Amino acid sequence: MSGDNGRARVGGAAAPILAFDGVVKRYGAIEALSGITFQVNRGEVVCLIGPSGSGKSTLLRCANALETIEGGRVVFDGIDLQDKESDVRKLRQRMGMVFQNFELFPHLTVLRNVAIGPLTVLGMARAAGESRAAELLRKVGLADKAAQHPAALSGGQQQRVAIARALAMQPDVMLFDEPTSALDPETVGEVLSVMKALADEGMTMVVVTHEMDFAKRVADWVVVFDRGLVIEQGPPRQIFEQPTVPRTREFLSHLGWHGEGLTGTGPLVDRSARIREAPDS
Amino acid sequence: MTLDWSSVWDNRDRLLAGARMTVMLTAATMALALPGGLALALLRLSPYRAVRGAATGVVEFFRATPLILQIYWVFYVMPAAFDVRLSEFGTALLGLTLNVSSFNSETFRAGILSIRTGQWNAGLALGMTKFQVLRKIVLPQAVTRVLPALASTWVSLFKDTSLVSIIAVADLSYVALKIRSETYRILEVLTAMAALYCIMGYPQAKLADWVHRKLKVTE
Repeated sequence: MSGDNGRARVGGAAAPILAFDGVVKRYGAIEALSGITFQVNRGEVVCLIGPSGSGKSTLLRCANALETIEGGRVVFDGIDLQDKESDVRKLRQRMGMVFQNFELFPHLTVLRNVAIGPLTVLGMARAAGESRAAELLRKVGLADKAAQHPAALSGGQQQRVAIARALAMQPDVMLFDEPTSALDPETVGEVLSVMKALADEGMTMVVVTHEMDFAKRVADWVVVFDRGLVIEQGPPRQIFEQPTVPRTREFLSHLGWHGEGLTGTGPLVDRSARIREAPDS
Repeated sequence: MTLDWSSVWDNRDRLLAGARMTVMLTAATMALALPGGLALALLRLSPYRAVRGAATGVVEFFRATPLILQIYWVFYVMPAAFDVRLSEFGTALLGLTLNVSSFNSETFRAGILSIRTGQWNAGLALGMTKFQVLRKIVLPQAVTRVLPALASTWVSLFKDTSLVSIIAVADLSYVALKIRSETYRILEVLTAMAALYCIMGYPQAKLADWVHRKLKVTE
């Protein structure tokens, strides 16, 4: 299914950086993913949307092998993650991950949180690693927090540190797992702005989100999940204005979305298009 | 009743030497039982069932039998059954270390398991090895959380070292009981013994309390 529309997409001329091919994930008797197929091209922002429990976050964890899969393939830059020969650890170093609950390391300062990847995994010298970390903290607007511990920061600030931590590995792809779902409403905007800036720089991003406004404005491609399946995928214009599948329309209208135009100039965070709900995991 | 404290005063050097032995035995045991306990804890968390099972067996055995029996066992059975001969001090140290390692392992295990999966995932997602995640992320947090429990174990251990007097290790208890039987000044000697344990033990207990307060989990 990705073959035809793939060419019309951002980065469609080259081989995809990340491809899911019939991915199946089971927890005991429960099938969380029932054959997920889609691809992510280089430079593309792909948003995964859908009801809680539809498998979006599970799929994201399969992308960097934090979950094992029972069927199908996950291929990163031409390398099959399931292949016994593949060095999963090396591949993970090229995929930055941002978690719903930040998962900063509470015993380390903000600076060390960001530097730990370069220092531990890449074996960078302390000075070089920390200067890279300081640089990234400036980029996410938190240079003044470098010496603090994560507990002293607001949720939005913690999530920006987490983004900097992932970027410190200079990844090819950034994976975002509901990055704003655990945040107080007033700090959602600052995280989305950082993500938007990353997208504008051309970073390849896969974003599981309930921020429909973000998906509509920033995504190049939107994949709609429902009950472990992809029910529809396409450019945001199609998904948000002319969804071809009734379930997509139903899901969006549940969120209070009624097909606004794509030319909105309001703030990136539109309360009406956002729902708060339990993590789907 | 007349008290004759000379039985204590005249033997002060021996009592102090006994006290030194008690402290040394406590410190040496803990120095071995911390890494020992951590090793057992990691074995119990091993993905391999056989490894897990063996470590669990060791831990449960030492937790379920009295320390005094373990010390006797090391003292009598090891030389007879395995032809392993250790000095009294070595025997005492081995017995205490096995026992305290088992308790420490449960403490470490609880600490490690208290760190949520997300922290592991965050480390793994950066491309760390499991060992790197353990060392850099999980253990520092886990150890901070269980320090109060380890401090309590330390205080118990300090007192439990008195049991090694049964195999003639010249610790405070052994020396004091020996002086008692030499001088027959039971009240004076036992009072001095209690005072010495108390003088040494009280600050340790206070220190443990302080650690408890200081390290209340904040996140």
